[in-house]
Amino acid sequence: MRREVPLIITFIVGMIILLAAIFTSSDGSPFTLKIWADELTDWVIIVSAFAVGLASVNLFRIHGDIIARQRPGWINSLTLLLAIIVFTIVGIIARVGSNEFFDTLNQNLYDSIISPLGAAMFAILAFYNASAAYRAFRMRSLEATIMLVAAILVMLGKAPIGELIWSQFPSISTWLMDVPNTVGQRAIMIGAAIGGFATSLRILLGIERGHLGGTE
Amino acid sequence: MDWKKLQNIDRRIIYILLILATAIPMIKPLGIPISTSAQAEKFFNIMDAIPAGEKVLFSLDYAPSGAPDVHPSAMAVMRHLMDKGVGVVFIAFWDAGPMFGEQLIKSYEEQGFEYGVHFANLGYLPGGESAIKRFGEDVVGQVSRDFRNNPVSSLPIMQGIKDTRDFAAVIDFSAGNPGIQEWVRQVQGTLDINFLAACVTVSVPQTMPFVNAGQVKALLGGMRGAAEYETVMGKPGPSVAKMDAQSLGHLLIIAFIIVGNVAFFLDKKAK
Amino acid sequence: MMIMAGKVTLLVTIILFGAIVLIGINMSKSGKWTPKIRRLAGLDAIEEAVGRATEMGAPVHFSPGIGNISDDSAPQTFAGLEVLGYVTELTAKYNTEIIVTIRQPNVFPLAQEIVRQGYLTAGRPDMFQEDTVQFLSSEQFAYAAAVMGIMNRRNVAANIMMGAFWAESLLFAEAGAQAGAIQVAGTAAMAQLPFFVAACDYCLLGEELYAAGAYLSQDKVKLGSIGAQDIAKGITMVVLLVGSILATAEITFLADLLKK
Repeated sequence: MRREVPLIITFIVGMIILLAAIFTSSDGSPFTLKIWADELTDWVIIVSAFAVGLASVNLFRIHGDIIARQRPGWINSLTLLLAIIVFTIVGIIARVGSNEFFDTLNQNLYDSIISPLGAAMFAILAFYNASAAYRAFRMRSLEATIMLVAAILVMLGKAPIGELIWSQFPSISTWLMDVPNTVGQRAIMIGAAIGGFATSLRILLGIERGHLGGTE
Repeated sequence: MDWKKLQNIDRRIIYILLILATAIPMIKPLGIPISTSAQAEKFFNIMDAIPAGEKVLFSLDYAPSGAPDVHPSAMAVMRHLMDKGVGVVFIAFWDAGPMFGEQLIKSYEEQGFEYGVHFANLGYLPGGESAIKRFGEDVVGQVSRDFRNNPVSSLPIMQGIKDTRDFAAVIDFSAGNPGIQEWVRQVQGTLDINFLAACVTVSVPQTMPFVNAGQVKALLGGMRGAAEYETVMGKPGPSVAKMDAQSLGHLLIIAFIIVGNVAFFLDKKAK
Repeated sequence: MMIMAGKVTLLVTIILFGAIVLIGINMSKSGKWTPKIRRLAGLDAIEEAVGRATEMGAPVHFSPGIGNISDDSAPQTFAGLEVLGYVTELTAKYNTEIIVTIRQPNVFPLAQEIVRQGYLTAGRPDMFQEDTVQFLSSEQFAYAAAVMGIMNRRNVAANIMMGAFWAESLLFAEAGAQAGAIQVAGTAAMAQLPFFVAACDYCLLGEELYAAGAYLSQDKVKLGSIGAQDIAKGITMVVLLVGSILATAEITFLADLLKK
């Protein structure tokens, strides 16, 4: 039953949502399947919230163990757990209560810690782009050469200085994005969509069970 | 000459040079002129054709990480619409979205614009793609209170809005998923709304098929898109100022690629 | 009850493609048809990567992507979890440590179960530790920073990334390169494919990720499904070709039919 019950639930819920996306009531009255589908979608959000709790327990166990045994880097683990506790408490009070101090503190914590840290991580991509491009864009083969030339043309087309060097770079870049890129993207998109459809169908019908663990 | 060394330059040297290439133009702008693309001009023309008194929906679907690339487009378009007397309503399907809505709104409140009349922030709707679908079909049914806890029905700007077809345009400012594709699949395709988009640079290639199919009427790509919009508007702003840094950054990366390849070939020849 | 406007083509496509997939699976199961999957260098390289990690005495890092199981990235996440099962059994066979990092809380219990079962199947239940599968953070870049830290501190020798990725893909790939790891990646997230192709040693593109489970297990059901997908793609190509010709001749009946 441990594997059968999730499969039955998957099938029933999946079919309700699928049919609600295709059918409607013929007289314009509220469609039962759609009401059920909307309700089930809300349940997904609630179950996901519980999953956060479950995952947080794992986080506390692992890092609690590191702190207790004072393994290398235990200060980082302590900082992590304290941050989780502080942010959770402040966030809940700010959201549920109407306390201006906690509202402001919540906003400030977000603006001064989370926001800049997220932006900094994204900014690292610029440097990694440079080192990855330098390392990987070598003319080792015909395909690598085509990729290299296309990358350089698009970079020169997008940066204003490219147009200063040669006025045609933007047009070439636009053509590369509009034609070869769109063709490739569409091809991968269609293939991936069909692959995703087949995988979803197998999961819906219980043919695919690898995600439940164990052999099939 | 040791060509191997040129093929394996310490990445820290690359990083330092990149910092200099991007920081120096921010301090001392070079003033490289920016040409405008057909997409930016189309985007501008569509916004410019919206009469005063109409409302446009901004879907702010990005986090602080992607904000430097896509928030400038939101700033530029909002500036255009505020100048024209077009109302802006914000919604977000990413949890950080409403914060950026508040940032946009605050600067105009200080200039005398009124919340609830000229703009409103409907907050964050969880649920991803299904939330987009439900919101698209029934705006007021999905959001009863806005981000500032006002009843949505009491806001003058929301009068006459039932679903997303009641907006003159819907613009998704997107850094990923849920974003443009979800809006196209669930709302544009079914309700045939006037849908435009602005996205991070890295998402431009995968959004182009939707632009070419006409499902996205016009697209602003990354900070370059914002800079082009500011240029078309005739009001160069922060995005234009940052394009010099992008220019030098790109040139530096190309230079390193060329150095690496020259060293690669000469090393092969030497063997 | 009636079909919504604009959904008739969708319904017909679901029924048609669904039937093709189910028929393909049945024919494969009964032995009447055995689709062959061409060699996928990325998947062959996984065993090489795990072997290298064993020789170096360093762990293998695995990420099944940052996608969820309740949105459109779910097929990629499930595909990644299939590969995780295979990689777990390999690491058990070679007695190598695996570190599985998770971003989505929903995926965490699935990954734990797959790894536990993988060790059990390989006869090494003792290898499963509390920190074998780690939930790091549901915040995208916090997860990325944590993974980069793990790869750097633990000097991972193999980095396998299979699933849905977004902007953090290049961060992982470069961090793995800096740690000296052999890297195998696979995703159907089109925006990230260029980064993986540029920065990883092997890369599975788009639907090759979905074929991974079938390729590794040679399971008849999965092989049948992959073969059926190719037939569905063939039908799509024919419709595209015919539609393009008709549209060029300004005959719109096919385009109008598909909009129904």
